[in-house]
Amino acid sequence: MVRSSLFLISLAALISSPAAAEIGRIKSSVGSASIERGSNHIPAAIGQELMPGDWLVTGKDGRMSLTFVDNTRFAVGPNSRIALSKFEYDKTKQNGSFVTKVERGSLAVVSGRIAKSGRDAMQVSTPESLLGVRGTRFIVEVRP
Amino acid sequence: MNGRVVALLALFGLAACAHSSMVLLPDENGGHGQVAILKPDGTGETLVSEANSRATLSATPAIHPLGSKGLKPTEAALLASLPPPPKSFTLYFLEGTTEMTEKSAPLLDEIKAEIAGRPGAEVQVTGHTDTVGSDADNDALSQKRAEEIMSLLASKGFDRTIMSAVGRGERELQVPTDDNVSSPVNRRVEVIVR
Repeated sequence: MVRSSLFLISLAALISSPAAAEIGRIKSSVGSASIERGSNHIPAAIGQELMPGDWLVTGKDGRMSLTFVDNTRFAVGPNSRIALSKFEYDKTKQNGSFVTKVERGSLAVVSGRIAKSGRDAMQVSTPESLLGVRGTRFIVEVRP
Repeated sequence: MNGRVVALLALFGLAACAHSSMVLLPDENGGHGQVAILKPDGTGETLVSEANSRATLSATPAIHPLGSKGLKPTEAALLASLPPPPKSFTLYFLEGTTEMTEKSAPLLDEIKAEIAGRPGAEVQVTGHTDTVGSDADNDALSQKRAEEIMSLLASKGFDRTIMSAVGRGERELQVPTDDNVSSPVNRRVEVIVR
């Protein structure tokens, strides 16, 4: 009996945990701001969930801000195209790896647990460089 | 200042603007980290290690202090639009139960206010136990503690889809103890509002 109720509890835990792929959420957006997921364009509404591989896209008057499950925070400026190319995070061990690609535009970053979990576990790539993030707050601006 | 210097400064300013760049800032708690600028193939490291430095993102990065001019208005606006840091709360429990201590119960109202004040808030609830009892029982108890808090928050009108609950049993003691030690500080639930 004890065993079966424990089993039910663990089953409930499995069911109630959020979709495994969710890596973060939109916290604010202004003007033209959307998420590109494959061929889908999803408005960057507050609370919108993010998945690995998503592109964050803003127009001339657009901005958005977001948080990730490892406590990383982003602010995206106008005229930006930024991909969340890779995001892997082990909540239990609190380590992982996070690669963001800034094709154009501007991005402010406050790094979270992934950046602390290993040397260059968090990377930001730009057309001409690769940044290894070692636990900090910074801004990247990519001009065409 | 003579004309030539002004012209040179103007030229330098233009050159700096034409490049992609990065700015390393102090952390919110005062310290600062580092950013390594590598070539796209991952070689040739240039380390940006001073806070308030601007570096060009080119084949040969040039690093300059921000100086008295500080950030560009667009950069300041970008920083201002970052979401606030996550906030963490710890609730304590009576031994072997999912009942909060008298002192912890009022914290729920603070958590509620914090969630309400954050558009698009997410809530991560993590339950823990002390080392009294078996690992399996403590896994179950910590999960129940986390779910109890999640249910209390849901009963105050917060949508369950913004919350997640997980039990960590006795794996993550706040204060390390031997096995089978009753410890009020280890019987807890951490609530992170993001």
